[in-house]
Amino acid sequence: MYLLRRAWANLKNEILVLPSRVLVALWVLGLALLPVVWPDPYILRIVTMTCLFAIFAASWDLLAGFAGQVSFGHALNFGTGAYASALLAQNLGLSPWITVWVGALVALVIGLATGWLCLRLRGSYLSLATLALPIIVIGVLFAFPNFSGGELGISGLRRLTTSPVGNYAIAAIAMLVSVFAMWLIADSKFGLVLHAIRDDEVAARASGINTTRYKLAVFMLSALFAGVSGALYSHFLRVAGPSTLEVALSFQAVIWGIFGGAATIYGPVAAVFLLYPFTEWLGNFERLSELRLLIFAVTVLVILLFMPRGMVSWVRDKIESVCPRCKARNGAWRRECRLCGAGLHGAFAPARRAP
Amino acid sequence: MLQDILITGLINSGVYALLAIGFSLIFGVARIVNIAHTAFYMLAAYCFYALLVTAKLDVLVAGILAIVAITALSLLCYKIIIEPVREHQAAVLIATIALATIFQELMQVGFGGHYLGIPSTIGGAFTIGGMSIPWQRVLIIVVAAAMLAATWWLLYRTRLGLAIRATANDREAATLMGMNADRVAMASVAISVALAAVAGVVVAPVFVVDPRMWLAPLVTMLAIVVLGGLGSLKGSLIGALTIGYVEAITVFAVPAGAYLKGAIALSIMIVVLLVRPEGLYGVAFEEER
Amino acid sequence: MLRTLLSVMAVLSALATTAHAQSSIKIAILGPMAFVQGENHWAGAEMARDEINRAGGINMGGRRLTVELVKVDTNELQSVPDATNAIERAITRDRADFLMGGFRSEAVLAMQEVAMDNKKIFLGAGASLTKLGANVEANYDRYKYWFRISPTKDTDLIRTVFTILGSVAAQIRTDLKKEVPKVAILAEKAAWTEGLVPAVQKTLPAMKLEIAGLWQPSDRATDVTAELSAIERSGADIVFTLLSGPVGIVVGRQMGERNMKAVAFGINVEAQKDEFWSATAGKGQFVSTLDTFAEVELTPKMTPFVRAFKERFKKSPAYNAATYDGIYILKEAIEKTGTMNADQLVPFLEKMDFVGAAFYTTFDKRHDLVWAPGKTAGIAVQWQDGKKVPFWPPQIKGMQPFRMPR
Repeated sequence: MYLLRRAWANLKNEILVLPSRVLVALWVLGLALLPVVWPDPYILRIVTMTCLFAIFAASWDLLAGFAGQVSFGHALNFGTGAYASALLAQNLGLSPWITVWVGALVALVIGLATGWLCLRLRGSYLSLATLALPIIVIGVLFAFPNFSGGELGISGLRRLTTSPVGNYAIAAIAMLVSVFAMWLIADSKFGLVLHAIRDDEVAARASGINTTRYKLAVFMLSALFAGVSGALYSHFLRVAGPSTLEVALSFQAVIWGIFGGAATIYGPVAAVFLLYPFTEWLGNFERLSELRLLIFAVTVLVILLFMPRGMVSWVRDKIESVCPRCKARNGAWRRECRLCGAGLHGAFAPARRAP
Repeated sequence: MLQDILITGLINSGVYALLAIGFSLIFGVARIVNIAHTAFYMLAAYCFYALLVTAKLDVLVAGILAIVAITALSLLCYKIIIEPVREHQAAVLIATIALATIFQELMQVGFGGHYLGIPSTIGGAFTIGGMSIPWQRVLIIVVAAAMLAATWWLLYRTRLGLAIRATANDREAATLMGMNADRVAMASVAISVALAAVAGVVVAPVFVVDPRMWLAPLVTMLAIVVLGGLGSLKGSLIGALTIGYVEAITVFAVPAGAYLKGAIALSIMIVVLLVRPEGLYGVAFEEER
Repeated sequence: MLRTLLSVMAVLSALATTAHAQSSIKIAILGPMAFVQGENHWAGAEMARDEINRAGGINMGGRRLTVELVKVDTNELQSVPDATNAIERAITRDRADFLMGGFRSEAVLAMQEVAMDNKKIFLGAGASLTKLGANVEANYDRYKYWFRISPTKDTDLIRTVFTILGSVAAQIRTDLKKEVPKVAILAEKAAWTEGLVPAVQKTLPAMKLEIAGLWQPSDRATDVTAELSAIERSGADIVFTLLSGPVGIVVGRQMGERNMKAVAFGINVEAQKDEFWSATAGKGQFVSTLDTFAEVELTPKMTPFVRAFKERFKKSPAYNAATYDGIYILKEAIEKTGTMNADQLVPFLEKMDFVGAAFYTTFDKRHDLVWAPGKTAGIAVQWQDGKKVPFWPPQIKGMQPFRMPR
């Protein structure tokens, strides 16, 4: 009874006070209940893919949004995870439960190498150089078709589980754990340092921060999560092909990340959960299905024109405001801060976060 | 063999230079990474096709109309889409990606997903050193050279060019000196897209026109620009020559590895970046934000 | 999102009310509908549907069932996951009874898995990859629902090409009085050519042909000047092509522009399309390729089908239009067995002897077409003065002679 009351108090004081937290809670609840309420294999497949891409988009945000290393070749890590896991499962006959982890580790190593390559690059140079990396890898894969399966990739992989609900559960749990982990990382002191590096690397270095080490670390972490999503993806589809390294996929990560709102983690996740089912839903209509990419692009463009800092950031600013004194977040309906009691809409304009 | 490499490399480089210099110009002046740059090149090819094959206009008229139309379209896109979000670099970036996708899909809806061919605008070939080069290809080299010379003249011999270079160098200072930075940005967008459109028009009778023809040159162009140094026109020219010739040499030296030419070109870019992070001629802007 | 859910609900409830009184057979046609391949998948299927329904539908054990097609855009050329989502949608949402189509091998491999998970009969009409059929042999119980109705598997395609190459070479020997003609191999760098290139290199000398060299451009190359001038220098008489991408157009066009003395023969998917002549700006003279449909009597049904197709769609059918045969195959199987149960249909299909518009269809133990020239090996065509002229197999009625440049 005590525990129950404690849980209720927590719920009331920590979650119900902020609309964004309520939304997150509802979303988690929805994910948990989906297979019970609506076990349609098609819906489960779509949400499974959505979950996997959500990990991918969030991992891009960790690297690009927080650390300012705007990678245009994030598919490299996705593809590495997919291929590494697939090759191990196929050639050594290991269980996918093991190879997914190894795939993620290989992606991590590749991430380290990318980070090392890109240490001296900044801004647009970094973006464009990273764009090249997955394309080079595709060239290498095509040059060794016996090893990599060439254009077809590696097919007939074993699944983690056979039931749609099982696959969904794996993807959803992996997504929740990864996203929560990334959010914790981004919210920690480590994340603070990343912010500092993004905003002013020289100043960060001058304050005694070993920026090299931090940058390499974030490259590795981001690659790790992207690798997990790539590996899970390959075992879910049972194919790891060059489409996991395509430029389009890298751009997709950028679109999700910026559309949702960079440097938030939850922004890209929300963007994937909105955009991926949306485009798939368009495919349901015979007339629209051939136009879905067009509709997708127009939607992204129009929304960006009105919300250039990303949709989720925009929505959050509408439903919540930041206390000018203690920087705590409050529901938009409050007149004074829930923590320090300072007036929210008085003499101070609400503080705006740097873009 | 040697003359093959020389000529093929020159044609490749000419087209790449037209694309890369325009891209570099926009980046230098307005700090826009314009992913849609080669999409305008694709649009110009389609526009040329529509005017020449469907509307049966004269070659010269069709070509010039196509270039003008695409340039006007780019200014419209800049005004309506890019300018309102200029302050948000990330938003500009995906706005250009979205634009490119929209163009691609529109062309696919309008012209279908298949490949279109445009009849040669000038026939025949001329023979030099035992190899025959169709005039159509000579035309590419000639037009590319003429356009590059015109661009050089515009940038280094006119007041507009001075304004563009000044803005590229230091936007604030140029504004303080009384230059209208917005108008300069518009002018450089126009010049840059016009160059891409010229490339699209001269290339269309030689290549195959399809909605996805912008992707491959996009990657190569980005490699060239990074290799030469972002914002540096000289660097873009040298980068274009380097990559153009590297591709030609790859095809001739390793016939069975011709598909690798893209990967090799990109690897060269990476190597150059490792040695000189700001590219060959890039300005080492230490702390630009 | 909410709208998605609502619409999905609406669709589901609509399905629930109609499902119990089945009066039609639902066949999902899967293909990249924005592209030529998908257009042909759909067009071929539409023709069969209209013919069958006009003639009273399919007679399943006395019940008359109409054919209902579901058009499923797989978007497979751009996205593999989209393709798997699409087939899942066709099965679980649209409740398709049968699946048909597919083109890009990487996507078909992934789609095959989804179809087999759901134990649905899937008639492949586009991908030639051997592995798709090898899956059936390796794991029969899982993959037995897969049949490939067009084309023959890639290794059989190449057998056909060799056979035709032999007759082309014979003509060159007599025309040029050259004992050992030289052949330049021009194969795009892609999965389907990987296994073929070594086979070609091994087989040509045995056919008394000299190999002038091997060139491998990318399938999307926009310029093959380099390759062609090297080929010209090597003095080749035949350019043996293995091309599926747009590079096929570039090759045809640039060979014409250079007035090359060599003739192009092999597989050139772009040259199978009507648009090839205009895409090469009229330079594609003498380019020849393997093809499936022409107004010849390879099978008794071929000429009428091709004429009706041209009449209706104003262009000639590509090999993906074999969905037409696919629907008739299903019709015959359902009428003879009196059931739509996949497990009962599979044994019937395996033993089936079917005369379609494209082929004389019989399946081997990999559920691939049994290869035989004049039956499943298709035909060969050459572009002559703006027309696609069939020239092989020569004994078939309607064939015309093969011509050489110069």
